[in-house]
Amino acid sequence: MDDLTEMLKGTLEGCVLEIIGSEETYGYAITRRLNELGFADVIEGTVYTILLRLERNGLVRVTKRPSGVGPPRKFYALNDAGREELATFWAKWQYVSTRINRLKEGGR
Amino acid sequence: MNFWETVTGSDLTRDWKAFETRAEALPDDHRAAWGQIKEHLSPHGDFTGRNLTPILDAALGLLEEAAADGQSAHEVLGDDIPGFCTALVGGEGSRTYRDRWREQLNRNVARKLNRLGG
Amino acid sequence: MGIQDIIEGKKQWRAHVARIKALPPDYRIVYKEMQKYLFKVGPVGLADGPLLPGIVDFFEEGVAAGKGVLELIGADVAAFCDGLVKDSPTYADGYRESVGGESGAHEK
Repeated sequence: MDDLTEMLKGTLEGCVLEIIGSEETYGYAITRRLNELGFADVIEGTVYTILLRLERNGLVRVTKRPSGVGPPRKFYALNDAGREELATFWAKWQYVSTRINRLKEGGR
Repeated sequence: MNFWETVTGSDLTRDWKAFETRAEALPDDHRAAWGQIKEHLSPHGDFTGRNLTPILDAALGLLEEAAADGQSAHEVLGDDIPGFCTALVGGEGSRTYRDRWREQLNRNVARKLNRLGG
Repeated sequence: MGIQDIIEGKKQWRAHVARIKALPPDYRIVYKEMQKYLFKVGPVGLADGPLLPGIVDFFEEGVAAGKGVLELIGADVAAFCDGLVKDSPTYADGYRESVGGESGAHEK
């Protein structure tokens, strides 16, 4: 689906947290994972800015590891604060999505 | 910064001296722009002018970069230096400025990459 | 800032500049334009913080992966830059705090 950028704003960070939460990984792999999910418009640059913010806000543990090709890669894993943030994201998502679905189904 | 420096402002004098040394190394055109920037920023300073130090540092850095890249001061600052200064301190109209910088950035990138591609 | 800091800072900056020179032309052009924009926007700690070297790390990875620069960060370079400095205070913020007033034009 095209043109999801506006709608994904604010949720993409949660998605990245979730991906990092399931295993330690790096930017390009995160981007590919999001693309495979169907978010085809997400590019590495976007993921990079999200990772930078997660790092700045102290939500991830970063390790530099040599890669097969090119310069060393930064690997990201969640720390305790990151796991807490992830839990908060899912709680918020749950809250918003139930209400929006209710609206769509015409219930109250 | 120690207590003495705070009271006497001697840390400031040192900062400002360092700015002037850097400014002297600039080409004429850029040094003139620096003079204008200082002039337009000074009304924004507090009693000591301390709050302006990082802003001046950034503006000087911009001019140094431009000089190193062989760009004129006009090319990076545009026509409206007072407006540029207001935007630097985040005053009235700074949002418009940021939009203009944003457009300028994308336009420059498109133009230069285009030229590169032949 | 002591003499030592100035020398160290210069040495680091020169090393940084050398890395930029080693990038392919398209990356170099985009980096330079970005840096100019960022200097104007003025996030705190830009000149000696991790942001600029981090961009070069990221760009080097893109080069190693054989990508074009816009493929990596998208055609809206300004949006990418804004993503990089989102949530980080600018010098203008510090200035506004120092004069103790709201001048209205808060960037968000």
